[in-house]
Amino acid sequence: METCFDVKNIDLFYGDKQALKDVNMEIYKNRVTAFIGPSGCGKSTFIRCLNRMNDLIEGCKVSGEIIKDGLDIYSPKQDIVDLRTRVGMVFQKPNPFPMSIYDNIAYGPRCQGLKDKKKLDEIVTTSLKQVALYDEVADRLGDSAIGLSGGQQQRLCIARCIAMSPEVILMDEPTSALDPISTSKIEDLCLELKKDYTIVIVTHNMQQAARISDYTAFFLLGEVVEMDETDTIFSHPKDKRTENYITGRFG
Amino acid sequence: MNRLVKDNILKGITYIASALSVIVLAAILWYLVSNGLSLISSDLIVGDYYATTENAAISNDYIYDESAIGEYTGEGYYSAKWGIALEDITTAHNDEEISVVYVDPNSPFMHMNSLVSGEDGMALSLTEGSSIQNIYYLDEAGETVFLSRVKMADAQNTIAVLDANATGIVSINYESIGGGIRGSIFATLYLIGISLLISLPIGISSAIYLHEYASKNKINSLIRQGIDTLTGVPSIVYGLMGVTVLFPVTQLAGATSTSILLGGLTLAIMLLPTIIRSTEEALIVVPQSLRDGSLSLGATKSQTIFKVVLPCAVNGILTGVLLGIGRVIGESAALVYTTSTVINDNPTILSQGTSLSLMIWSIMSGEQPNYELASAISLIILVIVFAINFIVKIIGKRLAKSFV
Ligand SMILES: Nc1ncnc2c1ncn2[C@@H]1O[C@H](COP(=O)(O)OP(=O)(O)OP(=O)(O)O)[C@@H](O)[C@H]1O
Ligand SMILES: [Mg+2]
Repeated sequence: METCFDVKNIDLFYGDKQALKDVNMEIYKNRVTAFIGPSGCGKSTFIRCLNRMNDLIEGCKVSGEIIKDGLDIYSPKQDIVDLRTRVGMVFQKPNPFPMSIYDNIAYGPRCQGLKDKKKLDEIVTTSLKQVALYDEVADRLGDSAIGLSGGQQQRLCIARCIAMSPEVILMDEPTSALDPISTSKIEDLCLELKKDYTIVIVTHNMQQAARISDYTAFFLLGEVVEMDETDTIFSHPKDKRTENYITGRFG
Repeated sequence: MNRLVKDNILKGITYIASALSVIVLAAILWYLVSNGLSLISSDLIVGDYYATTENAAISNDYIYDESAIGEYTGEGYYSAKWGIALEDITTAHNDEEISVVYVDPNSPFMHMNSLVSGEDGMALSLTEGSSIQNIYYLDEAGETVFLSRVKMADAQNTIAVLDANATGIVSINYESIGGGIRGSIFATLYLIGISLLISLPIGISSAIYLHEYASKNKINSLIRQGIDTLTGVPSIVYGLMGVTVLFPVTQLAGATSTSILLGGLTLAIMLLPTIIRSTEEALIVVPQSLRDGSLSLGATKSQTIFKVVLPCAVNGILTGVLLGIGRVIGESAALVYTTSTVINDNPTILSQGTSLSLMIWSIMSGEQPNYELASAISLIILVIVFAINFIVKIIGKRLAKSFV
């Protein structure tokens, strides 16, 4: 199994407040890794470290290393824009641009300088097909993406991310605003995408983590309490706190 | 007191307040319309402000050919022989005049040379709207006959005399109509153009810097405070600053006196805070999630700003543009020292001139304030403001549509 991210001793501060404490983990290629933990424990903060979206937050300081392909992504040698083309992200709330469905998906490739209409058409079509949205919107690619339903918007955002053919897709609670049908569509999608992509997903839904992930990390108060194969975490957690959290949730 | 009564009193106050503002607005409109509407005509809009007296002789190269002169079926009394139509009018100053309504292209009156000393020989043609003072013509015997204003009497008689007695036209004395505002309309448009051309790019860029790039440090909050303060500076101060600081700049462009360019530059500076503020407000409203989305797709910061943020902010920015245009059209104090108060019929960017508002100031500060003309100009200003609002709204819709 190849390592995608090798995270070493990550500490993160928002101003004076420490949000991540000495996080260490390995995230493997072509696997689904789930982050679980109570609200405010730093899951979003950590997933945003992986494509350096935290850089946008004023007063956020990160120390430690995250090695990807032999290079620390926090080293000055790392081209951040290039990193983000390889590590895509899907946000909790669908955030389609107020443009046409087509332009939304073509946005990333266009920003990379792709102008060839044929290639763009192809990318748009395959991306939409991959997220099983194509049949629903094929005849209105020119319409505004804002007119789509929440679940459709979220799948559009995933398609937009896939259109960049990244290596990794980071998803921060992608289904928290969706109905069960849309949710299961996106879960199926994750399992499907796993063949080609490395997926990291934050979720509050234990069943979801159990269903789709290969590895699970349990966060608590900015620390990773335990990380292991999902089956192990859910059947034989080593740490008492993990067990409490999981069983508590399961009732 | 009963809560319901309190509620109704409050409601009543808001009703009265809004009714009051509607009444005031209606009163202003009524005043302007009742005073100025009668003056509004195409002559007012395209005409010169200064009436000029012209004295012109038919050009020596012109060969009279009656058959070349065409038909005319419009208003007034037409002489098919001389290709000129006249009518009787009463001017704004209550003078009875004989006014030209039409001149045929082959009429002798279209091929004249000026007799006024100083501009000898300059080619002239009789323009519609001019009022005729007297005419010299040739009779059957070839003698020159003087047809004075008194002998002309009215339009009908003049045409009859010319048709019956004249065998040729020698010269004509006429007065072009004045009181037109064409020059000031152009000057106003120049001012809008110059000031927006300069303040928009600078203002939008500064707003982008302040909101998208600048970190929250002391210097930037100082800049912001400075900009807010600039909004409150009286416009006459901008005018003073313009004439002392910016005048040398316009000299580089070739200006020898105060000029429309100087006024435009001054207004550009005056508009900056408005444009920056409204652009910033528009940027604030753009959700952070869109920026995050764009950056997470590997777009650079500038791509994010130009492809996602600015298009979302376009309507807010246009609101700023509208406010700016409104200020330019309404401004007079900042222009008194910078464009001068001399009404100019043919303004250029480097010449002096008055905007429409300043023109009102000019004609009202003379010895005989012209309320009618001032009201007519005010009405025209209202129409221009309305038209510009309309155009900018349409542009906004177009831009928004091309983006969706
Ligand atoms: N921009 C920020 N500035 C300051 N503190 C922040 C910021 N974002 C998050 N925090 C703090 O960092 C901690 C971790 O937040 P984070 O958003 O990562 O939690 P989370 O695990 O994603 O929670 P949730 O499940 O509710 O999304 C919280 O205590 C939060 O208050
Ligand atoms: Mg979160």
